[in-house]
Amino acid sequence: MSAAPRFSLQNINKRFGEVNANSNVNLDIYPNEVIALLGENGAGKSTLMKLLYGFYTPDAGEIVVEGEPLVAHSPKQSLRLGIGMLFQQFNLVPALSVLENLLLAFPAAPWWQWRRRRLTTDVLACLQRIAPDIDPQRLVRDLSVGEQQVVELAKIMALNAQLVILDEPTAVLTPQEVERLYQFVAQCRADGKVVVFITHKLADVRACATRIVVMRQGRIVGDWRTETVTDNELIQAMVGKDTGLIVNRIAPPKHLLPKLMVKRLNVSSRVGTITAMDFEVSPGEVLGIAGVMGNGQRALAMVLAGILVPDSGEVILDGVSINALAHETIKVPDNVAYIPESPLTNAVVAQLDLATNLQLRALDALPFLQWGMPALHEAQHKLAAHDVRPSDPHLSAGALSGGNLQKLVIARELSRPVQLVIACYPTMGLDLIATRNVYERLFAQAEQGACIIWFSEELDDLLRYAHRIMVLHGGRVQSIGPVASFDRQRIGRLMTGHAQAC
Amino acid sequence: MDEINYTLAGSWVAASLRSASPLMLVLLGETLTQRVGIVNLGVEGQMLAGACFGFGAAAVFHDPVLGLGVGALAGLVLSLLHGVLCIQLRVNQIASGLCVMMLGTGITSYVGRVFVGAEVSGLAPLAGQFASAQSFWQPLLTQLTWIAPLAVVLTLVAGVLLFRTRTGLHWRTVGESSTVAAALGLRPRLVQWQGLLTGGLLSGLAGAVLSIDYTQTWAQNMTKGLGLIAVGLVIVARWNPFLVLPVALLFGLADTSVLRLQAAAVNTSSYLLAAAPYVFCLGILVVTHLRADRDAHMPAGLKAVFNDR
Repeated sequence: MSAAPRFSLQNINKRFGEVNANSNVNLDIYPNEVIALLGENGAGKSTLMKLLYGFYTPDAGEIVVEGEPLVAHSPKQSLRLGIGMLFQQFNLVPALSVLENLLLAFPAAPWWQWRRRRLTTDVLACLQRIAPDIDPQRLVRDLSVGEQQVVELAKIMALNAQLVILDEPTAVLTPQEVERLYQFVAQCRADGKVVVFITHKLADVRACATRIVVMRQGRIVGDWRTETVTDNELIQAMVGKDTGLIVNRIAPPKHLLPKLMVKRLNVSSRVGTITAMDFEVSPGEVLGIAGVMGNGQRALAMVLAGILVPDSGEVILDGVSINALAHETIKVPDNVAYIPESPLTNAVVAQLDLATNLQLRALDALPFLQWGMPALHEAQHKLAAHDVRPSDPHLSAGALSGGNLQKLVIARELSRPVQLVIACYPTMGLDLIATRNVYERLFAQAEQGACIIWFSEELDDLLRYAHRIMVLHGGRVQSIGPVASFDRQRIGRLMTGHAQAC
Repeated sequence: MDEINYTLAGSWVAASLRSASPLMLVLLGETLTQRVGIVNLGVEGQMLAGACFGFGAAAVFHDPVLGLGVGALAGLVLSLLHGVLCIQLRVNQIASGLCVMMLGTGITSYVGRVFVGAEVSGLAPLAGQFASAQSFWQPLLTQLTWIAPLAVVLTLVAGVLLFRTRTGLHWRTVGESSTVAAALGLRPRLVQWQGLLTGGLLSGLAGAVLSIDYTQTWAQNMTKGLGLIAVGLVIVARWNPFLVLPVALLFGLADTSVLRLQAAAVNTSSYLLAAAPYVFCLGILVVTHLRADRDAHMPAGLKAVFNDR
């Protein structure tokens, strides 16, 4: 790099209480780069970029833009300097329209907001360029997460950002939306903008980055040009020690007597539809389910878990009909472990403490008086066994990080012998080590003879660990078969409803 | 014959508008307040304060317009108290609102004793005598003062302000989420003050309209829960100023009908009849609540009223 850096972070230090989020970080950002900032959860990537954006102030160190050191940095100043940041939590107002949300970002928006004013037209043009298919009059709450992200991006672009910071942008997207985002990044680079892409997924890095910077425990531990580094080197830099991140694939079941049978299942409900679905799962088998979100996964998971009553058809586990039970009481049967998507909203009560959350599956068996120590001891034991951190049973569940929350749910669901495990996107948003832990716990159940129904969007992981794969499209089984008969491209085509034959 | 029918219709419309004007104003005020994410149960007290102090000023200075102004200010002062408690000190809004309501009731009961039996001149009707005596417009012009048109125009102005200006956009944003608003560089507290004080001004004015223009007397607790009714009707009007007019008119119509029925000497207890508009109001609330998208219009920030912040 011959040119002078456009943005330069020098000796940055930032502490949050006891934690050193960034220590002595130096990073130069040159024109026309796409930097992938890679690292595990809590490595300090987001903190570093929020410092650059002016969201936090560094305890020590300097931020230099075009040779000028910044004093009293703030997000407002970033706006002027052309630094735009896409946060993980969107700053959108769901009840307002797309156009209103875009206009909100402009301090100089016209007071009288009839259409056709100059700014309004500019803003609309910007949205048109990024996403011609989004109607500016639609309410943001009616948009999918991916579309909401596009609106946020349009906001950043409308403010004419020269440096675009993306904070884990692919964590919430469907494969198609991820492709669109990659194109957006490529477009930014073609327009001469600089992009910093915070992520912990190697696929993201390979798809767009020109340079890779790896952070671990608040420090930069590696800085490569993309083509000069292997995946293994990156993983090792991220994780620090040479831990095997690949879980052993467990042997496929020997007995092919079905344990779980789904017969002529039809569901039509608020959470999705399922049409004429038939499949069987043997004990010890891992059935991976792929599909674009919203194609009946949620309904299928809930029917299998016994908390949604199907319109017709049957789910039989170990000779007992789950949906006959569901007619009597809506409750997950005791021999079923259910790990729903978004654990914070679906699997725990955020305000209650960890010990209580661990007992939620047995609420009606709880003693009337709640001052027993045994429950507390048991909770402590489970938390320690599943490495939930912090392991204080009195802490409220809302205070846990994503990975630890998932461990908590697994500690509750998988600490007893079960016949069926339903895991919905169990590794979403988790880093490599947390992902490995989840897989280990999950597949250990299969080794003990449980059926595993595993919904996932990580196609590579599905191909690596599942015994059979089922692809859903429009609430129907698009294809089901042993894992050897699938590859990424084939699953991708099936997911979008194409190519039944090949 | 036709002409008499027209006159009759006109006088019903006029009576409904007259009876609905105070409600329209207080409902509009509460709508704007809730749009910035604040529930103000104190409107009842603010209305009473407006009615009492407005009436007092009108009686003492023989100037109804001055009375209306004083009434509006009285409402504003009480809403200021609500704001200090719940915007600045983060006291629970329900508790703070109830406190303001009780304060308004108490103060006006004490101060208002001297105004009982006093007389005010009231406002002049839109037209004294109308040339063509028998028409639809005749009762409207002779029975209505400029208050009713003002109330109607205010609802329209507020609607345009809320949905078509940057100020309105900021209000709605703060009402949805203070956190997002702050992240976007707005000052949520300032915006909440704007909405709350506008509501205070309107509820005070509503009270003054009730005592000076409508009944032209002061009586203890004369609002009879109209402020609290407004808090409920905000839901029916879906937090939309443009719907304030029809909703308030429906209630006004029910109210007028009761008076007409009493005048026609229907053989029912007058207390039962007086309860009819409230039953009617309850009915509308249930019907609107049965709709599938009942929560879709509610500012999300209002949910925070029941959370610790």
